[in-house]
Amino acid sequence: MARVLVVDDEPNIVLSLEFLMQQAGFEVVTADDGESALQSVADAMPDLLLLDISLPGISGFEVLERLRAQSAYAELPIIMLTAHGREVEREKGLALGADDYITKPFSTQALVDKVQALLDEAG
Amino acid sequence: MGTRHQPGHLPKRQSLLGLWLLLSGISLFGGAAFALWLDSLFHPTGLARLALWLGCFSGGGTIFLVGLLLERQLFTPLRHLQVQLARLVANPDARDDYPPEGWLRGLGPDLVRVREAWRADRRALATAHTEGARSAVRIRLELESLLQVLDTPLLLCDQHRRLLLFNHAAETLFEGHPCLGLGKRLESLIDTASLTDALARLPSDGAPRELLVPFDDRWLCCVLRRVPQSDGETLLTLTDTTASLTGDLGNRVALAKRLPALRRHSAGLASAAEALTRLDDASLDTALHRRLTRVIGEESDALGRELEAFGQCVDELQQQGERLVPIWSNDLWQTLNERIAGSSGVGHVTPIGMPAWLKGDACALLAMLETLIQHLIEALPADRKRLPLEGEICLGNKRVYLDLVWRGVPLAQHALSDWQETRLASLPLAPSIGDMLNHHGSELWSLADGDGEHARLRLPLPALERVGAPPPAKPARPEFHDFGIADLPPPDAELAVRPLRALEIVSFDTETTGLELRRDDTVVSLGACRIVNARLLANDTFDQRVDPGRPIPPASTAIHGLTDADVAGAPPLNVVLPRFRRYVGDAVLLAHNAAFDLLAIQPPGASEAFSMPVLDTLLLSRALDSGLDGHDLDTLASRFDLSIAEGARHTALGDARLTAKLWLALLPRLEARGIVTLEDALQLQAGAFDREDASA
Repeated sequence: MARVLVVDDEPNIVLSLEFLMQQAGFEVVTADDGESALQSVADAMPDLLLLDISLPGISGFEVLERLRAQSAYAELPIIMLTAHGREVEREKGLALGADDYITKPFSTQALVDKVQALLDEAG
Repeated sequence: MGTRHQPGHLPKRQSLLGLWLLLSGISLFGGAAFALWLDSLFHPTGLARLALWLGCFSGGGTIFLVGLLLERQLFTPLRHLQVQLARLVANPDARDDYPPEGWLRGLGPDLVRVREAWRADRRALATAHTEGARSAVRIRLELESLLQVLDTPLLLCDQHRRLLLFNHAAETLFEGHPCLGLGKRLESLIDTASLTDALARLPSDGAPRELLVPFDDRWLCCVLRRVPQSDGETLLTLTDTTASLTGDLGNRVALAKRLPALRRHSAGLASAAEALTRLDDASLDTALHRRLTRVIGEESDALGRELEAFGQCVDELQQQGERLVPIWSNDLWQTLNERIAGSSGVGHVTPIGMPAWLKGDACALLAMLETLIQHLIEALPADRKRLPLEGEICLGNKRVYLDLVWRGVPLAQHALSDWQETRLASLPLAPSIGDMLNHHGSELWSLADGDGEHARLRLPLPALERVGAPPPAKPARPEFHDFGIADLPPPDAELAVRPLRALEIVSFDTETTGLELRRDDTVVSLGACRIVNARLLANDTFDQRVDPGRPIPPASTAIHGLTDADVAGAPPLNVVLPRFRRYVGDAVLLAHNAAFDLLAIQPPGASEAFSMPVLDTLLLSRALDSGLDGHDLDTLASRFDLSIAEGARHTALGDARLTAKLWLALLPRLEARGIVTLEDALQLQAGAFDREDASA
């Protein structure tokens, strides 16, 4: 079973995401800030990361940058989540090494499809 | 054939010579016959015979000698005097006069006196004008330069809606429009019923009226004012409102439209969710439950889509804010360098790559870049701080990237996040870098260059749909105004009765592959210049090389200097002619030996018709000085002492200008003879044409 790490500081979203991902047949781990996300990845590498940009403390961009800086995580699929949805943010995310980008609010089915596609690609 | 002798004109030299030789011949022949007859009748001898022969030849001999004397002492000096007077009127300042000869020698001092007196008067007038009007001129110049530097496009029209003045900004706005020119009608530039109507109803007290007029695919906000205490002149100021209209209006309308949809979907979602929570356990998994769930799904999707579109509108609104203006990147780097040269520790940004246009709030951008550079220098290792930074503009699809490049590694995100908190104290309300990034719809990130040695800090900015460097600055005082246009007769009056001085004239000339235009020779170069109000406009020219579609014979190259290589890549005649037709507009054409040039620009099957009146300086000169020989451009230029720039002779534009100068020299002489309207001039040259035909 593929393991997905959901990093978001909004409990409501995390709750739904966790449920949806489990429904879709994934094992879900959560983190509510950048530090714990990095820790979680270091403890046990997930198969995919759903990473919100606005996090307390270090930002999603920084988490992304730090992960990509280590060769062990160079190939880890990472989908960025944002409530801003400006195109230039999407571009920045992709420039820093994100695999995909999803704007809130999102269609749950589209999210599940994207996760599945990336896992298939990586797998 | 009847050589029509015009009263008051010196007979042609050939006619006089012919008459003289004829009379001398008849007299000599008659004398000889008479002498023979007398000789055979009286058989005189010795002295008597000599006397008889001499007496009989004396008549013819006298006529011959008197004729010779008159030609030497009177007729030749008279012709020279005619040239002198013509030159004096055409070009009072021409030098190299030669004194009257023969029996007219006595007129010399008088002529010198007249000439010197006239020159002195002219000088005195010029000096008086210069001194008396110096301050007025200075004030006018200052006002003119003020108008020229105004960013707002300005047009000033006379009561007949002809352009009297336009400034540089107007030139930029109407760039490439053939109808922006002094004396041209406003309607040919902006043709709308609303403008015509507003002009007709404009109050005379100078109160402004505002209206929005379409121009191409743009909208111009036009403010009209009748200039108080004038002859009904109108000042128009124009603002291109397209951007703010489509931007603000478009986005506001779009936002307003989206809002009800957002409310609707949000209400649908809320009520469905509410209903769902109230369902009891028994109702779970019923049809109602499924329907409510579907509603929630549908409304969520719709809400997501609407929000995305809403967000785009907000983004665009932010980027189209009024303070984001077009900036040429080289200007930005230059100003930035001037700013950072003042602050210590920061060197200089060397622009690399191709410059480009971008959109930004210049002040904010400069303050932000200055602070970013300070942070950057601080962040670089000690041994790299002194190395010069480079600035590069990279082009993306919708954005341009303003990159600061240094030798080293990229900056970490956390540093950049910290920098975004920095407040820009030099700006009002001291916004943070993050705020200013938002203002530009931008972000900040750092990346490594492909060469593995350099890194860059990337600042995406809105791009501008504009290509190429800004146009070079115009010469200091171009001819943007002519208030004399207001004195021209109304444009609907007959062109024929228009004074020659008031004509708009385009003087043109062609260079060709040869003289056989009716066979296969054709144009290699076409040049023209414009005369408005008897003034040759220095900048208003047409100068175009033409690909003749055949080799240029060396004999022709020897004349105009154009080789096959010179015309390679030039447009063909059928492309040039419509442009030239637009350049001519409503003007009257002028050329020297116009028949040839007209034939050259109207080859068989040409689409452009040049049906306007045509003035010909060759014919006019012949009509004015029928007693003089030599009416080709070179002879006339030297006769009237008309100067032209070295090397410009025998170029199309050079000869067109020389022809224009020749016309201006002939003008006072035409007027002195009562030839003041276009009709008169055309009639005069038609007469010269007839005569030439008759004697040919």
